[in-house]
Amino acid sequence: MRTTTANDCFEALGSAISFARMLQFGESMFPIGGFSFSCALESAVQKGVVTDASTLRAFTLTAVEQAARGDGIAVIAAHRAASAGDVDALIHIDGEVYARKLSDEARLMSVRMGKRFTEMGAQVIGAPLLRKWLECIDASVVMGCYPVALGMNFAIQNLTAQQAFVVLQYGTASTILSAALRLMKISHVETQRILFDLSGLTEAAYESAARAHLSSMASYAPLAEILAAIHTKAHVRLFMS
Amino acid sequence: MMSSDTARWARAEALGVSMPELAAYQDEPQQMRSGTAGKTGFLHLGFERRGCRTILANLQRRAPYMAQRALYFDQAMPDLAHVFLITTTGCLLQGDRLTLDIALGPRAQAHVTSQSATKVHSMDANYAVQVQTITLEDDAYLEFLPDPLIPHRHARFVSDTQITIAPSATLLCSEIVQSGRKHYRSSECFGATMISLATAAARPEGPRLFVEKLLIDPQRYVMRQTGVMGPFDVLGNVIVCTPKNHADRILERLTADVDLTTGVAFGACRLPHDAGLIYKILGCETAQVKAKVRELWGVVREEVVGARLSPPFLWR
Repeated sequence: MRTTTANDCFEALGSAISFARMLQFGESMFPIGGFSFSCALESAVQKGVVTDASTLRAFTLTAVEQAARGDGIAVIAAHRAASAGDVDALIHIDGEVYARKLSDEARLMSVRMGKRFTEMGAQVIGAPLLRKWLECIDASVVMGCYPVALGMNFAIQNLTAQQAFVVLQYGTASTILSAALRLMKISHVETQRILFDLSGLTEAAYESAARAHLSSMASYAPLAEILAAIHTKAHVRLFMS
Repeated sequence: MMSSDTARWARAEALGVSMPELAAYQDEPQQMRSGTAGKTGFLHLGFERRGCRTILANLQRRAPYMAQRALYFDQAMPDLAHVFLITTTGCLLQGDRLTLDIALGPRAQAHVTSQSATKVHSMDANYAVQVQTITLEDDAYLEFLPDPLIPHRHARFVSDTQITIAPSATLLCSEIVQSGRKHYRSSECFGATMISLATAAARPEGPRLFVEKLLIDPQRYVMRQTGVMGPFDVLGNVIVCTPKNHADRILERLTADVDLTTGVAFGACRLPHDAGLIYKILGCETAQVKAKVRELWGVVREEVVGARLSPPFLWR
């Protein structure tokens, strides 16, 4: 069992700058391609699993819970490893995340967004660790999964592990909800209500993830995984997942 | 001799002590203590190819786990060694530790199944652990298709499966988990306290292929939630580790769907590192899930071995 370490929540940077940077690297406009994925919502709508605001909320909650139990633990572990400058630990975490991505499209999404996030970070922030990580990705030493890229980037910017975790959770929910606007009959007010509601769960989810060891990464969302499998077989697709 | 034997099932005991999800359940049962003689089962099945036939060359057992002998009754694959796993207690109780070790030498072909469903009984202390090690050498072929797991209300069960598979070998490994004895009383449906099912696979020389840890925790997460189980009650989880050319052909023949009218959902994905496929099935009843597992089993056999399935036994 791991306890929350001091710099996980420590506001090292001036809070206004910290918030601005967190918004920049966490918002859906950040060009890493998150908008092209629906996390199986496209299949869920086609198959009648998600039909209205209530089922959309439940589907998004499932995705957010799964992220907290899996990738969220890796984000925090990567933040700790990057804070310590431990590249071997980052390589190990990346391997563990990739080995748990059992759907083709989830792997594609994690690897693609991870590489773009690292590239953007290397070019915008210009830190040596990010450039080294990019070399590792290009040389196929690592797969470069998104949770590792996110945790590492935030550690380098002196943003906290908690902030990185919030970006992961918020990004998971907002990816699905913005896809919902294009896939089903739902209003902006309804999706914003869901997002507002689910953000209220982030604090407890972070506390739980910060205590967990990397080997505790777990999941249980078989219906969402079947929907992802259906998506890979679909002939007509608006989204990449 | 005793110390090396003990080491073979020590992993089951160590696992239960180390897992965070079991931290709250380390108390001892008022009946027999955990891990005592009669509660620590061990079974090693070592299959080897002899001529055209596969034999059960090495059998080691400790009650309550046992197996009798290899049988050869499959007319479509007459040289396939069939072994039925037997647990003499007929179920899993609090404090039980079971270790299963299956090893197939080069070109060996085997089918391992259980006699009936595995009930995991209600628990008020401790937990039950199952540890499985599956090793497949070059060109080996294993169908490991045990009957479903039935977790009773308040059951705590941890399973850990470690697979080591050569790149040319094929493993078809299924797990069917019921929501519980839902026709007995409604509180049995998803009434288990905690079910943890982990599977990890690697190549013999070491590289990790994939890891899956399913943690069914109905006290913390809503099982009926959209995306989790929805309206379904039974999970089938089938892993097909096989060379990429076989996996491509198998995947081509598989369909994926969610049919809310008939109450069944299924679909396959490719595993990382070209390890093969993972096929998930959800059904409202066990028979639907078993039928889909059998369908996949037939496809795998045809594509990998070139043999058809024999008709099912009337009583299974």
